[in-house]
Amino acid sequence: MPPIRTVILFLLLGLAGGCKEGRPMRMSHLVPTDIHGWRADGQDETYGRQTLFQYMDGTAEIFLIYGFRQVFVRRFVKEGAASLTVEVYDMGSSADAYGMFSFEREEERAGLGQGYEYAAGWLRFWKGPYFVSVMASSETPTSKRAVFDLGQAIARAIPSEGPRPALLAYLPAQGLIADSVRYFHTHTGLNYHYFLADQNLLHLDRQTEAVLARYRLEAGRPYLLLVRYPTPEKAAAARQSFVDAYLPEGGGTGMARLENGKWTAVKAQGEFLVAVFEVPEKQQAVALLETTLRGWGEKQP
Amino acid sequence: MSPQESLVTRRDFLRGVGYAALASTVGLAEGCRPAADGSESEPAAEADRLRAAEGAERRPAGAIARVVLIRDADAVDAHGRVNAEAVQRMLDQAVAQLLQVDRAETAWKQLVQPTDRVGLKSNVWNPLPTPPEVEEAIKTSLMAAGLPAENIRVDDRGARQTLADCTALINVRPLRTHHWAGIGGCLKNYIMFVPTPSAYHPDSCADLGAIWKLPIVRGKTRLNLLVVLTPQFHGRGPHHFDPRYVWPYKGLLVSQDPVAVDAVGVKLLEVKRRLHFGEDVPFPTRTKHVTVADVKHGIGVSDLERIELVKLGWTEEVLI
Repeated sequence: MPPIRTVILFLLLGLAGGCKEGRPMRMSHLVPTDIHGWRADGQDETYGRQTLFQYMDGTAEIFLIYGFRQVFVRRFVKEGAASLTVEVYDMGSSADAYGMFSFEREEERAGLGQGYEYAAGWLRFWKGPYFVSVMASSETPTSKRAVFDLGQAIARAIPSEGPRPALLAYLPAQGLIADSVRYFHTHTGLNYHYFLADQNLLHLDRQTEAVLARYRLEAGRPYLLLVRYPTPEKAAAARQSFVDAYLPEGGGTGMARLENGKWTAVKAQGEFLVAVFEVPEKQQAVALLETTLRGWGEKQP
Repeated sequence: MSPQESLVTRRDFLRGVGYAALASTVGLAEGCRPAADGSESEPAAEADRLRAAEGAERRPAGAIARVVLIRDADAVDAHGRVNAEAVQRMLDQAVAQLLQVDRAETAWKQLVQPTDRVGLKSNVWNPLPTPPEVEEAIKTSLMAAGLPAENIRVDDRGARQTLADCTALINVRPLRTHHWAGIGGCLKNYIMFVPTPSAYHPDSCADLGAIWKLPIVRGKTRLNLLVVLTPQFHGRGPHHFDPRYVWPYKGLLVSQDPVAVDAVGVKLLEVKRRLHFGEDVPFPTRTKHVTVADVKHGIGVSDLERIELVKLGWTEEVLI
């Protein structure tokens, strides 16, 4: 049994920090307590994987498909001005911080953290293992300035950058629509961006890394999905599952023209699986698959 | 039925048989159905009892539902402020049309008795709550129909306690996309009547319709009002709200059928999303719960072919 003084100290720390779950995080030092006349208001809050639902109505699941650990929340007020809310999410790794950022990315810009977006009073960026959201209750020139300056201060306080997911390097560059790239792990993540099936045909889970991207072709904007499995055997099994359930008329080739006249194709090589969807022409589908796998082969040590 | 037979893929929707494919699979999720009392598992006897009740109350095949859409160009101003007078007019006209009577008062008297204790199940979601002007319009109409003010209560998060003894319910909330259910509509609005809402989250909140058969609400709902004054057609961010993705549609959707009114809401958001994004952008998750509420729980009509949509008022960019 822990000493009683330790227990009391633990409880006090939890209460003082507004901690909703477990040990208080050490993220408060990343966020200023005032900016341009706005001052921190009320108690800071933290939520973890078990309590995130208390903070979010319906969107906690997005964070939980990544390695989310905890979020730190601080609110700011200033008389006669919009309120500001800062949320710093510890995503467990820079790859998953990037993944969370990419999940809803519309138009990424450089110059704050390792990439940011701003629209209608809401700033979002990522740096190292952190995904950060700074939101004004309404957008005005002064609230926008405060949002950006808060964001810059937080980005400076995060000590170092982190690598993007290595898987991104295998995406063919030609025709890639950069802001369409989504990084995730599970089939829930895939279905959010491209509904494939109720069931997990591609055997995606927390151990798999997946990246979905769109390509600009003359006659369309097809999707390319690249998945890395823990083992080549798992990649091969996933391909077989997908071919059996989704492309049975392909006769095992892993390629078929679907009801909308567009092509879907899949290949596995080593621990990689690549699939393309909504491709206007068969030869374009083949080219996308081969270019991707050739790139993988060239980058092997 | 094998797992393979239960599979619903994108190809089903490409073939135009998505509805049928989904309908054929909704009976498969019995194992994860939330309990009637909101606990995590449902005892077999209770499940049998519920299934028997479902059979008894299931609508006859081919039943037609009626939904009224009313819009007014003056219902919302350029700053997003709601015009209370316009909303009152719209509400009364829509309810009279729904019940096919000449006067609003007659319609409201058909919906409630002066002795009823009426609960307005509202929605307080901070970015897009039920507008107070709509709540007030309902209260005004109820009182005009002879209901004493003290017999009317309004609540959302505390509904399970404060509206439990109501004899009649009016379900009113704005239409929006929802990360985990696809849309937030009238069906989902009753989730606060259960002790453990998260028990209804699995499988895209598929079994929200089960809530409607719980004693606390069963048979009490007199009107479903899906507020489409400024609906939200897309969500982003930790709180699934971005002001760029609401638009002044300036309408109300009214029905006695919660499934039908949500099905029309789904259609409206689908059309708006296609218009805005220039292509079919899927909802965050499929709006399966609307179909399941019909096919499995039998509490309304989800097939648009069997919904009579009556459109009144402003027609510009009506979309549906």
